Amino acid sequence: MPSTPVTADRAPAGTTVLECRDLTVRFRTDRGEVAAVSDLSFDLRAGECLGVVGESGSGKSQTFLAAFGLLAGNGRASGSIRYRGEELLGAPPETLDRLRGDRLAMVFQDALSGLTPTMRIGDQLAEVLVRHRGLPRREAQDRAVQALAAVRVPDPGVRARSYPFELSGGQRQRVMIALAMLCGPEVLVADEPTTALDVTVQAQVLRLLRGLRDETGSALVLITHDLAVVAGLCDHVLVMYGGRAVETGPVREVLRAPRHPYTRALLRSMPSLTADPDVDLAVIPGQPPDLENLPPGCAFAPRCGRAHDACTADRPALRATGPGRASACHLDDAGGHHGV
Amino acid sequence: MASDAVLRVANVTVDYPLGRAGLFGPRRILRAVDDVSFELAPGECLGVVGESGCGKSSLGRAILQLVRPTAGSVSFDGVDLCRLSTAALKPYRRDLQVVFQDPLASLNPRMTVAEIVGEPLAVHRPGIDARARQREVDRMLERVGLRAGMGGRYPNEFSGGQAQRISIARAMIAGPRVLVCDEPVSSLDVSIQAQICNLLRELQRETGVALVFISHDLAIVRYMSQRVLVMYLGRVMEEGRRDAFFAGPRHPYSQALIAAVPVPDPDRDIAGEEALLAGDPPSPANPPSGCVFRTRCRHAVAACAGDRPPLETLDGGARVACGRWRELAGN
Repeated sequence: MPSTPVTADRAPAGTTVLECRDLTVRFRTDRGEVAAVSDLSFDLRAGECLGVVGESGSGKSQTFLAAFGLLAGNGRASGSIRYRGEELLGAPPETLDRLRGDRLAMVFQDALSGLTPTMRIGDQLAEVLVRHRGLPRREAQDRAVQALAAVRVPDPGVRARSYPFELSGGQRQRVMIALAMLCGPEVLVADEPTTALDVTVQAQVLRLLRGLRDETGSALVLITHDLAVVAGLCDHVLVMYGGRAVETGPVREVLRAPRHPYTRALLRSMPSLTADPDVDLAVIPGQPPDLENLPPGCAFAPRCGRAHDACTADRPALRATGPGRASACHLDDAGGHHGV
Repeated sequence: MASDAVLRVANVTVDYPLGRAGLFGPRRILRAVDDVSFELAPGECLGVVGESGCGKSSLGRAILQLVRPTAGSVSFDGVDLCRLSTAALKPYRRDLQVVFQDPLASLNPRMTVAEIVGEPLAVHRPGIDARARQREVDRMLERVGLRAGMGGRYPNEFSGGQAQRISIARAMIAGPRVLVCDEPVSSLDVSIQAQICNLLRELQRETGVALVFISHDLAIVRYMSQRVLVMYLGRVMEEGRRDAFFAGPRHPYSQALIAAVPVPDPDRDIAGEEALLAGDPPSPANPPSGCVFRTRCRHAVAACAGDRPPLETLDGGARVACGRWRELAGN
């Protein structure tokens, strides 16, 4: 947001700001250990928008909760997640407190529970600037109003004096985004930011996020179950299934020519405004994977129409299939032709 | 619309009391549904769309008499359900069934699946013996894609998609003629949504049940429905046959709703500012004068604040409530 102080040492566009290597997130449960994320690696570059797509239990949220040091008490992460070279996994609380809300920010689906119910909106925003930037309260209050204006909250001066319950769902999500953007973060993670909103408001919020990304050069991670949301906003996409990356690549190419059977099936199962509505939707049979009972081979094999013996025996590795693209499927020999 | 409608909703209004404005102030009401009429033919699916707070769920509940309309009538087979006592309504409950958004919240956690699915039979066909009932339950469970052997389990042992199948089995077992589906796939994973949509479509074809399909998702409504009804702040903005509606929506609100639907096409941008609605819907407790949509309509002129535009019926049966649609269509 133009009115906020932007730190001088921003990573130049195109350099890696977040580097995730071999991330595994496990949770201890009554029935043993469950791996929510397994061997996940990806890079996020300055100014880039990465869409992380998956169903419930795919590990898409846990990945970033781990990066932010926000895993539940029974969870633990191994591997490495570096922000501009600085290791986040296992970092001391002071390090995380310094980075979170400042260099690294997160917006959650449920904006109401992300805001303090008993504090005025403006005070909540101002507090971040007092704490992270050491601004005098008065100046912080003024900037809070500017921040609300920047995310197009109507009557920002009035709204700054409102409590969260007085705002609509769309306005609350704007406030959450304003809060996250206050210190000009280098990485903004938005976890299903529009899932609870109406389509009309969803489109507004997506536009807003893209505008902020363009203005500030922040890297944006959009976690979503909806490939359609990714299409309009993201540069790259990471498709997750059963805690692993199954396909990754530039959004345009992945949506145009998906390689992994799961990505393909997901796209075909989505009702659209253009397909013949009298033709039944292509269905992915079965249920999303049960993390407590993942099959030994490919987690998607039980639902995949083209699975053969190798798919149930060995887990396919994520292999490069072209420039910037990778897919984890035995049927996808790199670069080779394969039918749909 | 044919005279053989299975369901005829006429001028239905649903008010909720809000309490007084101040200690001695006037009683206030929230008009959730305002003068809504439509007909539903046997075997047809009417999609009801709109943003949250538009009254689509209240309309569904009014059809089912789960809330009693303040005014208007809901006729099933020519009988006005609004005039019937709760006791007199009971035989009609088997004809009008419902599937809700959250399947786990709508299944009794202490009953087995077989008990849940078999209960409508126990209520509506009290003479049925236990073995026949079991056979029916097994048949129904298999029809919705579950195994008959799952009947002994409890709802919490099932995923959301499976639980929604149980809800559908319960709704369909007594052979309803009208099924109200209130956001039946909204809480499900994308890969499961298609399964449930296809199942509902198959059941509709097989049994001839008519559907009222309430959803905020226009792509799913386009797939499920033969006709579409668009609501805003409790009122009908537009109604039309599916293909004509999606090819040429007449009401500015319908146009904005369709423009906002995200599509998995990297070459199509997010809807432009000019096509997007500004802000959120106003509170239904305090609707704007005249056309209720005018405060968010980019085509609104001073006249829109005056008289409320009537819901005009056009040749072919489509309906639209906009004072300017002809003029705008000319541009």
